[in-house]
Amino acid sequence: MNKGEELGMETFQFGEEIQSLMAVVQPPEAGNSFTALLELPANQAVKLLHSHEETAPNNLPSSVFPSAENSLETTTSSVVPNSSPNNINLVKQEPIDSDSMHNSSPNPSDPVVSKSTKRKERETNVKSSAKKIKSVTNDDGEELPYVHVRARRGQATDSHSLAERARREKINARMKLLQELVPGCNKISGTAMVLDEIINHVQSLQRQVEFLSMRLAAVHPNIDINLDNIFSAEVIILQSFYLLMCNFTCYAIIHKFLSVSTFIKTYH
Amino acid sequence: MKMHTSSKLRKEFIKKWVKGLQICCSSKKNMDILERKKKIKLCADIALASAKNETTLWSIALISEAKKDDENKILVDNLLGPESRFKPRMTNRQMIACHKRVRSKKILKKSRHVCQKMKKMGPPKSNLAAYIAKKLVKRRTQVLKRLVPGGESMDKFSLIKEALDYILSLRIQVDVMRTLVNANEVLNQSDSKIYN
Repeated sequence: MNKGEELGMETFQFGEEIQSLMAVVQPPEAGNSFTALLELPANQAVKLLHSHEETAPNNLPSSVFPSAENSLETTTSSVVPNSSPNNINLVKQEPIDSDSMHNSSPNPSDPVVSKSTKRKERETNVKSSAKKIKSVTNDDGEELPYVHVRARRGQATDSHSLAERARREKINARMKLLQELVPGCNKISGTAMVLDEIINHVQSLQRQVEFLSMRLAAVHPNIDINLDNIFSAEVIILQSFYLLMCNFTCYAIIHKFLSVSTFIKTYH
Repeated sequence: MKMHTSSKLRKEFIKKWVKGLQICCSSKKNMDILERKKKIKLCADIALASAKNETTLWSIALISEAKKDDENKILVDNLLGPESRFKPRMTNRQMIACHKRVRSKKILKKSRHVCQKMKKMGPPKSNLAAYIAKKLVKRRTQVLKRLVPGGESMDKFSLIKEALDYILSLRIQVDVMRTLVNANEVLNQSDSKIYN
């Protein structure tokens, strides 16, 4: 029975290792926050946005599993197989792990799938009215080198206007992303109004920063050095609760501070 | 994934902000409220920009603007540490000359535009709505350029991208500051309760 328990523990540890591996390997793909944003609204201007960043996470799960399988096999070979049901348990647990892994990471694969279907739809729509195909070079570093733009009926097809159109569509795509970001911007149509909202948002955020820094200055008689105690607590809480909503972390921090408050009082 | 990068940014911002405040506190002992507010805001802004680690244009612009002030320069250098690569690429005089050049170019462009418009008076009037819309958009992009740090030297396309990133980072900054203020409030309340 002891050996069975040991094997159970080992599989559990490997499950955790797999999870930590997944967590470690995925963040570097995020790059900067803008590209992370690009991955989320999958149905926005698909043909112009970069696609290889989305396919990369797709490759990750497949690369992690072979290594995990190998490690599991080595352990089974090292242990003397005196009880066969235990081995069967091992083998059974491992596919379950991979299944759960698959289920836990549906997001990277979904946008790619939806993007490919949307691309096909758009192409079939355009095909009925397309006359010519021209490829336009794009000198923006982070996007595809060639943007295939189909000329629609009755529109000029010289490179100049095609470049103009590609540029305009790029800008519109980015504007849509901005629309998603700023609250209350989804229903507004037209670039000018959206820009208006964005400007208001940026201004209000900047004003809030000013106001909050004034409040902070008013609270402390001098800028406390003990702030780092507060902040280390917040960091700990952030690490454990970062998936929760904003309000929740606020209350959690407050509870933690109440326990620390006596220490700060002695400093005052 | 968005949550992950934003929480990383948040932690970086907090760390750097605390470091900056510590430096501030050690240099001067007594400051009035306005000075304190300025220092707090400055530390927060620079912490936010340096947490970005030179990946975005607006952060670079923000830090180089802060470095222009002599009194802030020391603080900024201390905060960024020895690995800081933000060197003011031009001296002050060159900056002024650059600005003058840019302004005169703009005046030339405008006059040329006006001349061209005078020549083709007909077509714009026929499509009045689009013409007005374009003007509105232009004016608003100008305003946005002024708001986003370093926006004047960006084209329309990268301006939008930078604005997006700037909004995200500003949100994180506001969030952190607000939780700190709330925590302080609660602490003060608990203080008064204990003393009563």
